[in-house]
This record gives sequence, structure tokens and C-alpha cells, in this order.
Amino acid sequence: MDFSLLLQLTLNGLIVGALYGVVAMSFVLIYKASQVVNFAQGEFLLVGAWVCWWFLTEWQLPFYAGFLFTLVFMMLFGLVLQVVVLRPLIGEPVISVIMATIGLGIFFQALMKWIFGVFAKPFPPIFAVERVSVMGLEVQTVYLVSLGISLLIMAGFGWFFTASKHGLAMRATAFDQQVAQSLGVSVPKVFAMSWAISAVVSSVAGVVVGVVNGVSSALSFYGIKVFPAVILGGLDSIMGAVLGGVIVGLLENWAHYIDSEWLNWGNMFQIAPFYALVLILLIKPYGLFGTKNIERV
Amino acid sequence: MTSMTPAGDYRTSYRADTTIFPTRNSRIALFIGLALLCTAPLLLGRYELSLLINIGFLGIAALGLNILVGFTGQISIGHAAFFGLGAFTSAWLHEHLGIPVMLCIPLAGMVTALIGLVFGAPAARLKGLYLAIATLAAQFILEDFFARARWFTGGVAGRMTESPVLFGFAFDRDETFFYLTLAWVIIMFVAAANLMRSRDGRALVAVRDHYLSAEMMGINLAYYRTLSFGIASLYAGIGGALYAHYLLFVSVEAFNILFSIQFLGMVIIGGLGSVMGSLMGAAFMVMLPEVTQWGADALAGSAIDRALRLGASISFLREMVVGAAIILFLIFEPDGLARRWRLIKAYWKLYPYSH
Amino acid sequence: MKLKHLLLGAVAAMVAALPATAQRIPVGHLMDNSGATSDVGVPYGQGVQDALAWANRTRNGINGRQLDVSGFDYGYAAPRAVSQYQAWTGRQRVVAIQGWGTADTEALVRFVTRDRIPYISASYAATLTDAAGRSGRQGVEASPFNFFYGPSYSDALRAMLQWAAQDWRARGQQGRPKYVHMGANHPYPNSPKEAGETLARELGFDVLPAIQFALTPGDYTAQCLTLRNGGANYAYLGNTAGSNISVLRACQTAGVTVQFMGNVWGMDENAMKAAGTAANGVIFPVRTGAVWGQDAPGMNTVREISRVSDAAGTAYRPVHYLAGICSAMLMVEAMESAAANGGQIASERIREGFYARQNWVPRGFEGVCNPSTFAPDDHRGTLRVGIYRAVVSGNTSAGSVAELVQAGTMKIEPVTTIELDRRRDWLGW
Repeated sequence: MDFSLLLQLTLNGLIVGALYGVVAMSFVLIYKASQVVNFAQGEFLLVGAWVCWWFLTEWQLPFYAGFLFTLVFMMLFGLVLQVVVLRPLIGEPVISVIMATIGLGIFFQALMKWIFGVFAKPFPPIFAVERVSVMGLEVQTVYLVSLGISLLIMAGFGWFFTASKHGLAMRATAFDQQVAQSLGVSVPKVFAMSWAISAVVSSVAGVVVGVVNGVSSALSFYGIKVFPAVILGGLDSIMGAVLGGVIVGLLENWAHYIDSEWLNWGNMFQIAPFYALVLILLIKPYGLFGTKNIERV
Repeated sequence: MTSMTPAGDYRTSYRADTTIFPTRNSRIALFIGLALLCTAPLLLGRYELSLLINIGFLGIAALGLNILVGFTGQISIGHAAFFGLGAFTSAWLHEHLGIPVMLCIPLAGMVTALIGLVFGAPAARLKGLYLAIATLAAQFILEDFFARARWFTGGVAGRMTESPVLFGFAFDRDETFFYLTLAWVIIMFVAAANLMRSRDGRALVAVRDHYLSAEMMGINLAYYRTLSFGIASLYAGIGGALYAHYLLFVSVEAFNILFSIQFLGMVIIGGLGSVMGSLMGAAFMVMLPEVTQWGADALAGSAIDRALRLGASISFLREMVVGAAIILFLIFEPDGLARRWRLIKAYWKLYPYSH
Repeated sequence: MKLKHLLLGAVAAMVAALPATAQRIPVGHLMDNSGATSDVGVPYGQGVQDALAWANRTRNGINGRQLDVSGFDYGYAAPRAVSQYQAWTGRQRVVAIQGWGTADTEALVRFVTRDRIPYISASYAATLTDAAGRSGRQGVEASPFNFFYGPSYSDALRAMLQWAAQDWRARGQQGRPKYVHMGANHPYPNSPKEAGETLARELGFDVLPAIQFALTPGDYTAQCLTLRNGGANYAYLGNTAGSNISVLRACQTAGVTVQFMGNVWGMDENAMKAAGTAANGVIFPVRTGAVWGQDAPGMNTVREISRVSDAAGTAYRPVHYLAGICSAMLMVEAMESAAANGGQIASERIREGFYARQNWVPRGFEGVCNPSTFAPDDHRGTLRVGIYRAVVSGNTSAGSVAELVQAGTMKIEPVTTIELDRRRDWLGW
């Protein structure tokens, strides 16, 4: 039992898991507010990463300016998407909406490849110190910054949903659309806002991954990791989504540890989260924090 | 669902009411259509025939998914994995047990159906979104299994297989394989149409429409949901087996999540809950990239080509068209091509009174 | 049916009546410009395209007959490749096909063998070299019509392992070096795995359990930590460039000091730019005798070909471009052999054309294309592997590949050339 390796893997799992949690949070936000499953979440990351890269390399902006512009762009992007594509689909069966988001995903993948090409591109160096040593594990500075940003976003969400007017409106809409409407909440506006916020938050994750691995079209695969995370945490709990993400990150690394020490199968890193997903669905179908769906006849 | 029937078209017996073809003309039209298809290998080239064969076995698999999604109201994003299972099973049965290919195809379908039942049992407890995500997980898990089970799938290198042989006559050319595919399409589609007008078919529809009422009426939800998975897997397995013996090569690379999404696209664009729609949806998904390619070839070298810098990027355009087509269909024609076809038929039937 | 035959007969008569010099030679060209392997598919496909266009223009085609190249981007989806193949053999009756990767090559093996059409792939799987199917390896079928230019994946790995053994001794290290194979569980990275591990044991390496990482970019810190813990000295990266980059960067961050050995499609100039300093020191095999920017007698011809798609002459051509040229030129010269002495350029004769020469370097490409020798039962064209090292000395995010190479931030240095023995027991795996 190599404890130092296990510790380092745990640390890595926590850090990467925070990132998964960020993506899961944005996914759950859309689902909670507008009952839409967004299969194009990975493409939000991709678009965010490419746009930020473009600002930094083509326009030579400093990172903070480019990042800010990216956030503004993504907000508009989410808004436009919701208005143009999702609004006509309100009321359609869930399978149609899933398919529409899948179609969106396909469309944007191809669009990004068309505009930016097929070669992976690196981000310009952003931080003066490239990596930091934490408890023996060398971590990229951007990951630690992303950890900080994730905590900030979570705190922001917490404040937003409990203390701000719009956040409360969103929660009300998620709970019961009819009643919220009758109380004067503009449901289409709430939907649009949730998509905008989700796009912005996803782009943060996209930029972080882009800085670490370079931007390429395969970034959208991070969107697939979202599903085990949200199932683990519960589809309509933002807190659960974050925890789910962290658990997935830890699970991946621990599975890899077990695999490399004893099993030597080789694939546990990728497939363990999905096995866990199926297990959780069998035991606790609503996840750790999801609300049980009480069926009224 | 109201359908426009012409005046004088009425039923006098229960049996007449459950007929598949509402009018005599539609029956005749179908037979003429089949006769035309039978002459296709004589008129069309290999390329067009291969497109039709693709539409054939993909249509069978799409029909299975339609039974699951359209008729029973479940969701499955793992259909490609079952398609692949059918393909690998058929190839394995032929290579290791020496069973003739013509028998392997239905056997593979049955094996896939059994495995579909195994997956369907826990899935029957989940609803909606959770079911979708569970099937997504099943897709990845099965894909991983394919990649690792070298004894079954030839591992990651894939497996070669043979063409079907019937009494010494080998279906190894497009022209001959077309007839085999046509036969299977007819069998499976007639089976599905018959299923839907039987008691079990009505039970499936009841499960979709209002499962609580169905349960109260004595329909065993878990049984029918699992059965639905099994049937969908049967169709997927047969479609996959035909695919394997057409391409003569099966590899795990082909059965990925994108393929599952394509199946879903076929079902939704074709029309949920419509047997004919599955075939139309399959035709759409097969023809869309081809049509885009023709369009691009036609535009190549022209002013539009230069303005958009198409040239090398035509494949991206193709993907974008597929994505956009899905979205546009869902926005403007959510009930799919089947409904659009019904409306067109009704328009002509009632012309000029169709308003 | 009669009408169709009548029409065909009329067309055939017309075709036969045409002077032979006007007849164009239909050739198929499958490429991946948009799919999973497009980052390496684009330069290779460009190389093939430019070389064939140049052959048409400058060498006046094959004995006066122009090549009619039909290019198709199949996006790395095998079924699309198969249906395009049906179109080519049905309508245009292609006589040879320039293929691409594992997906299409494996899917079409049986088809090309049945239809007897030479298929020159960019998939260098060793199983394709067993042309007669007599090597006795499990799962290897006869593939008499599959050719490729360059060493197979297995042979390239064997050559790198031989270099690694030399390098270990040259560095004065004691004891047994440790070797580990890293890659996804997928036909492409798995192709040379067994061959590599077997030879590693033969050469005295300690073979560690293989480490898996997916073909998509991701966070591979866990794999890097395992690598470091295992104490590996030499690690083979079996995946394509995209995920290799992730591993290199993750391992650089984690502080892993391992000699990475890339594969032909896993490291090139674009990957070096994307990975930055993480790619510094990685060695990888190169299929050609020289890379862009180096001097060789054949480089003038290569530069001429490059001007087909880059009139200004400023583009930097990655290693895959040159490999594509050599691959295309082999096909062209095989066709010339078939056409010699007034022969017909039929697909069977083109295959014979591949066997016509020994130590074959296409005319005008000396020093660029390595000599190839094909035999009816042994399609291992070349066993010479050029080993190069990627040298990255600074930030690569600004500027194009051409500018970075010009500035000297990125360099590809030749290390050595290994010529493997043509061992009988190495055929087919």
C-alpha cells in the first residue's frame, strides 16, 4: 500500500473533481430551472475555451480582459440559445428536448472545428508560476485558481438562490411553474437567465481545461463526465452536483490506484464512474441529495 | 389520432377494424412499392444499393428503438451497444460454432434480446431522465466490454466474418444482399405492426400514455417495460447481424455514443410511435450526409464555395447540417416525418377541400 | 436490363475507340479531414493530393495518361468509407486506392482482396504485412493487396527499443531498464504492444504492466503518478497526438522524468507546438529520410510538390506530409511498372508493379523516401526507422509552426537510424 501515492491521487481527485463539480453545477442549474437536460454541456466548455483562446491570441488581450470578455460572450450565447432553440420546445416530451440539445452539440462541435481548425492549440502562459507543490503533489497553478473560482461560484450561487430576488424566482419556477407564473414571475425570463448563467459557469471550466491540456475539439468529452456526477449528487440539487463531481474525481483516481496496484485491468480510470452510476441508480435512484419524486395519482 | 378517411370507408367487424391497411388502395400501393423495390438491383448501381441496404438494417434497429421510445415511452441512449452486440454475436456464432450465417442472424437477435432483458429489468424501475442516463452508462460499459473481451469481439482489432450462404448461393454482392435485407425488413416490420395491434402492443401504449392508470387496470408495468427492452434489443440484434454480414468486418470502434445518438435521431425525425416512421427516419439519416455531399460537390468551385471557404471544410458543413436538421425538425415538425407524410396524403385525398 | 447492357456496350465501344492516351486512370483517395484523426490526417492527405497532382503535371501522368484522383473525406467513420468504396468500384472502377487509418483499412481488407485492388494505407499495422497469411499468427488474414510506405508500428517500436537499449548503456546506467507501454485499449495503440513487450524482454528490459489512457484529452495525472512510482525509464506513448499531449503536460507538471517514445502518428510538429516544453526530449520514429528544412537530394522535388498547394512556398510541412508524398509516389511508380512495355494499368498489374523493384526509392526523392522492398509474401516495405528527437526550448503558444521552427524554438533533431533485421518470425505482428 503506497500511501504517499494514494494521498497524491486523492489530492488530484479533489482538485479535478472540483472542476467536474463546476460543470455539474451548470448542468443541474439548467435542469432545475427549466427541466431541460442539456446534452450539449460539453460544447459549452468547448465554445468557452475557444473563444477565450481567440481573445488571448488573436487580439493579444491580457488574460483578465480576455476572460471577462469570454464570460460576457457566453452569457449572450446562452441567452440566444435558449430563446432561439429551447423556447419553441417548451411542452414537448423530454426525449425531444434531449434530442434538440444533442443536435445543438453536434452543430457546435462542427462549427468550432470549421472556425478554429482541427489542430490542438495551446494557451499562452498565464501565470508567472506554472506549478505549485501541495503536500508533495505538483499541481498546475490554474487548477488551484479554478478551485478558488469554484468555491467563489458556489458561494455566489448560495447567495443568489437564497437572498436575491432573481434567484428566489428561479427556485419558485423550478418548484412549481404555474404558481410562480401566477405570482408574477416571468418564466421565460427565468429560463433564459438560467441558460445564460450555466453557459458562463461552464466556460470557466472550459478555459481551465484548455489552459491545462490545450484547446481541441475533444474537450467536449468532459460533458460526458457530468452524468455520473449529477446522478451521484441528485439531478436537482446544486450542492449535490458539486459533491457528485468531487466524488467522481476521487473515484477515478482511486479506481486507477486499485487498478494499477492490484488489478492491472487498465480501464478502471475511465469506466469506474459509470459502474458507480449504475450502482447508485439501483440503490438510491435520486442520488445523494435529490428530492424523491412523490407520485400523485 | 385522427386520420382522414374518405367517405364510405367504414368498418363492420372488429377484425376489419384492426387491419393494418385502412383502404384497399393503400394495400395495393404497398405491393406495387415492394415490386418496384424488387427490381431495384437491376436498375440501380452498387452505391445506391448500398445506401438502400444501410437504410434497411438501420431501419430495423430504429424500429426496435421506436418500440421502446415511441410506443412504450422509455428512453434509451445505448441502442448502438445492442446493435453491436448483435453484430458480434452473429460473427462469433458463425466462427466458433459453425452455424450457417442465415441462422446466425435470428440467433444473434435472440441472444441480444435476452441480454436486453437483463438490462431492462433494472431499467424498468427508473423513469425519464434517470433511465436516459442509465442507458448512457450501459452504452459505455458495453463499449468497454467489447474492447476488452477479446474472445468475443476479437478485442480491439475487430473480427472478420462471412457472407450469408443459402444452399450454396452466397449473398456476397450488393445485388443479392439487397434481397436478403428486404426480406428481413418485411418480416420485422410486419411483426412490429402486428405487435402493435395485439393485446401486448396496446399494453405498451398504455404504459406510455398513463402508467398509473395502466397499472390500476392490471397491466404489470415492470413486465411490459422489460419486455419492451427485450423487443428493442431483438430488433437491434438482427439489424446488427445484417450489418456484420454485409460489411464483413465488425469492430468496436463503430458502436460508439454517436451511433446511439444517430438512432435516436432516426426515431425522432421519423416520428415517435410510428412503424413507417422508423424507416423514414433511417432513410433521412442515411441520405442527409449524402445529399449534403452532393450539394457540396455541386457548389465546389463556385462563388459560394470561395466565399465560405468550403473546400476542405465540407465535412464540417455536413455535420452542421445534420445537427441543424435535427433541431429544425424538432422545432417545426416535432411529430416527425410520419406525420408530415400523413398530412401530405390527407391533403391530396381531400383536395380541394383540405382546408 | 437489356437497355442497361446496350448502353454499357455502347459506352464500352466508345471508350475502346478512344485513343489510349486520353483515358484517365481512376484512383480513390480516402482521407480524414474532419474526424477523430484529422489533426494528422490533414497534412498526410495534403501530401498525397499534392504529389498526385504534381505527377499529373510534371511527369505527365503515367506514360501520358493522367490520374483521375477522387478524394473523399470519410471523417473516420468506417461505414462511410465502405459505401464510398462501393461507389468507387461500382461507378468509376478505380484501379488503386490511397487509404488512411485503421478504421477504413481494416474494414476494407476483405473487399480489396476480393476485388483485387491495391490499397496503400496510412495504417501501418503489422498484420497487414503478412500478405500471404502464412505467418501463422492468430487472427492474421492474407492481405495480398495491402501496402504501406514506412515501417510498421511494431517495427518502429522495435527500432526504438533497440535505440533505448543502446541509450541505456551509453548513459552508463547499471541494471535492467524498465519499459512500459502506455496507450488506450484500442486497435491502434494495441497494434505494436505485444511485439514491443516481447522484444523489450529479449533486450533485457523489465516490462512493467501497461498503463491505459484514453484517446481523448483529459487529466492523466493519475497515470503519470503511477508511471513515476513504477520507476519506469522508457515509456511508449501509443495514442494519437491529442491525448499524448495531455499525458506529456500532466507528467511535466507532476515532475516525471521518463524517456518518452512516441509513435508515428503521436508526435509531430503540431503536437510539439500544442504540448510546448512538455514535448521536449521525446523521441519518435520518422518514416522519411529527412524532415522539412533538412537537406537531401530529394528535398527539391518535395519543395516543388509543396508549391502545388502553397504557391508562396512559405508553409511548413509536417513529417506526415512527406510520408504522404512517398506513399503516393510508390503507387505512381508501381503504375509505371504496370504500364511499361505497353501494358494495361489494371489493378492486378499495379500489384505486380510493387514487387518489380528492390530497394526502391522513387525517382527524384533520394534521401527523402527510404528504400522499400516488397515481396509477394512479405509486405514489409522498409525496415529502416529514422529516430528523431523533439526539441522545444521555449513558449510555443505564439506564432505558427513555421515561425517557431524558424526562430529555433522548436526543432526536430535526428538521433540515429536503426535498420532492423528482416526476421522471418517478426512477420505479421
